[in-house]
Amino acid sequence: MNMMAVSMTAATPVMPAGRLPSVTLRARLLWLARVRVLWLVAGFALIAMIALLRIASLGFAGTAPQRTSLEEALMPPRGELTDRNGTPLARAFPAYSLWFEPGAMGDNGSPLVHSSAEAARQLKAIFPDIDEARMARRLASGKSGYLRRRILPEEANRVFALGEVALEIPRETDRYYPQGTLAAHVLGYVVEEKGGQTGMEQVLDARLSDAEKRMQPVALSIDVRVQGALEDELRRGMLATNAIGAAGIVLDVDTGEVMAMASLPEFDPNTAGAAGAVNVFNRATNGVYELGSTFKPLTVAAAIDAGVVRDFGKQWDASPVAVGKRSIKDSHPLGRSLNVPQALVHSSNTVTARVGDAMGAEKLRKTMIDLGMDRRPFIELPAKGRPIWPQGPWSRVTNMTVSFGHGLAVTPLHLASAYAAMVNGGIWRPSTLMKLAPADVPRGKRVFKESTSSRMRQMLRMISLYGTGKTADAPGYRVGGKTGSAEKAGRGGYDKTKLVSSFAAAFPMDAPRYVVVVVVDEPKGTIASSFQRTAAYTSAPIVGKLVPRIGPMLGVQPDDTRDVDISDLRYLVDKGE
Amino acid sequence: MMNSSQARSLGWAAVLAICLALVTVLSFKVHAVKSEVLLAERQLIWLEREKLLLETEFETRANQRQLAEWNQVEFGYAAPRSGQFLDGERQLASLGEVRGPDAPNPIRLARADIGDGAEGDAATDAAMRSPVSGAKVTLASAATEKDAGAVFTQAFGDFLIEASPIRPAKAETPRLAKALAAQGLTAQGLGE
Repeated sequence: MNMMAVSMTAATPVMPAGRLPSVTLRARLLWLARVRVLWLVAGFALIAMIALLRIASLGFAGTAPQRTSLEEALMPPRGELTDRNGTPLARAFPAYSLWFEPGAMGDNGSPLVHSSAEAARQLKAIFPDIDEARMARRLASGKSGYLRRRILPEEANRVFALGEVALEIPRETDRYYPQGTLAAHVLGYVVEEKGGQTGMEQVLDARLSDAEKRMQPVALSIDVRVQGALEDELRRGMLATNAIGAAGIVLDVDTGEVMAMASLPEFDPNTAGAAGAVNVFNRATNGVYELGSTFKPLTVAAAIDAGVVRDFGKQWDASPVAVGKRSIKDSHPLGRSLNVPQALVHSSNTVTARVGDAMGAEKLRKTMIDLGMDRRPFIELPAKGRPIWPQGPWSRVTNMTVSFGHGLAVTPLHLASAYAAMVNGGIWRPSTLMKLAPADVPRGKRVFKESTSSRMRQMLRMISLYGTGKTADAPGYRVGGKTGSAEKAGRGGYDKTKLVSSFAAAFPMDAPRYVVVVVVDEPKGTIASSFQRTAAYTSAPIVGKLVPRIGPMLGVQPDDTRDVDISDLRYLVDKGE
Repeated sequence: MMNSSQARSLGWAAVLAICLALVTVLSFKVHAVKSEVLLAERQLIWLEREKLLLETEFETRANQRQLAEWNQVEFGYAAPRSGQFLDGERQLASLGEVRGPDAPNPIRLARADIGDGAEGDAATDAAMRSPVSGAKVTLASAATEKDAGAVFTQAFGDFLIEASPIRPAKAETPRLAKALAAQGLTAQGLGE
């Protein structure tokens, strides 16, 4: 400004001749230059402003690069199922599939870099089980679709290395069962877009897909090691006797938690999909069977409870019982008379029927109802069999047949819960597949007296020491249990060729912790079972081999120096000493 | 020339400019750290997924059925018998009971050599004396760590035997020293 003022004063003409136009011209040019600079600056400022505005608008309103938090990224689409010790049983697993996309190259030429035959040959090198000619036709057809539903990460890498753009490897989340077929009936399977099917996948469907809760795995009550041992022994027993199926349950007597539950033949939840699966029938909770002699201890317990059996030395008539037109006989003659412990040890139908008769139908019926035998079993699984329960008031015949386990068909789980109540001091509790905290254990209801329970422990132990359960007596584990072999009811009466042999046991008998129930469906007489089909040769040996395997895992140590005290009953059975 | 108020305002402007520059630098730094955190988070996610993958693969390869099959074919482990369990401290203590005066020698089928046990240490300590004065030498390493001497010996034994007059004693393995002590030899004798 000062400069301008100076130039203006300097430009004031003293003698305004000749030079005046040039002075004004100079001023004009100067002015013009300044205006141009101003325009330039204004232009730059405008551009800068626009750029800034654009940046600001992008910053505020534009889409930021997608940013997922750690939790969101790691949250599985479906919650994990674990066993009671946290071993994963079912988890969401990132998997790869192989998809053929002919349009991936973006031109109208061949979808593949190599010829389809060459590409098929290369794929054959990665997946040896594919049909090369079929794969070549498939690639030549130019139709998009899955070439393989699931491939391994290393296979995905090798496919990627082929350099074929059309062979895409989309990443998909899969429901994966690391243990394979293990505990398949407990777990069930998942069908895409339909959710869990059968098993705990179906029961916990809402919980597992809940966004709030699916980060936390759900612990089931089963122990994967016990489950493995149970299935292993069951399978071996089933194959050895050429049976059509088998079921097994290991139940905690004090909480009702199912430690293991198996039904054979099994299915593979990894391959079960929308088409369903074979062998989903759960023999342990859905199959109802007349379990035969395994009911005799329950009858005797009810009779002790009712005061019908007080003197264990009392002799009961063991001759065939004539009821109406039928006659109840023992499978082999056991003498003229037997006492109650002998009747259990030698599995006498006649004495048990007479004990049941002396007690009366109503008392036995009430005990069976208290043990939940008239309803579907108490378990979370959707597959629960309805027992075949004699309707109305029981007749004398019904009473007598139920007393030794016929005329009433229940699931193996019913029997396991009843045995748990019989040996744990008389408290019946519903069984569960969820891991229970000590505070959540149901109080249960009293079915038997404490004194009855302790008598039954003695007698169950005596059965496996002196009677039909000898093959289940694992040394040191104080196993006590009862065999049961019943003919299957078919059309028009019982089928003599089809047997269901069962063994219900508890261990250790001096302080029972677990009940084991094993049911073998239609065993045949084979070399392995000494050409016998009865429970002593088919299901009891399974328990005898299973208990030593699972005992130490479940905190039961073998001990030769401990046992339940049977000294007051022993002389009644063991006459030799 | 500027007057003082002009200078002050210029000064303020300069301070403002510096502050602005600092804020800009700081915000760049903040953003840099933020994106580093983001990258680290991404890496965490990737690692977690990788862990899941490996864990699942391990679980699959070592599933119960597979283990049972391996056991049947390869290992043949059987369920433990009652004799393999101890019932509390009392039973454990009973194993160490002093033999009665007329009791026969127990039949031993196996023996464990305990090189670094308490006795072994006593023997090596006893063998270590200064070759000059005959006074006991307590090694710093022996006092702090039981194994250190043996480890050290294995690594540098031969080298140190030649290098030092005291070292031969230290360079022996504890077992050797024990054996020598039993024969009445001392490490001092060996060293000379």
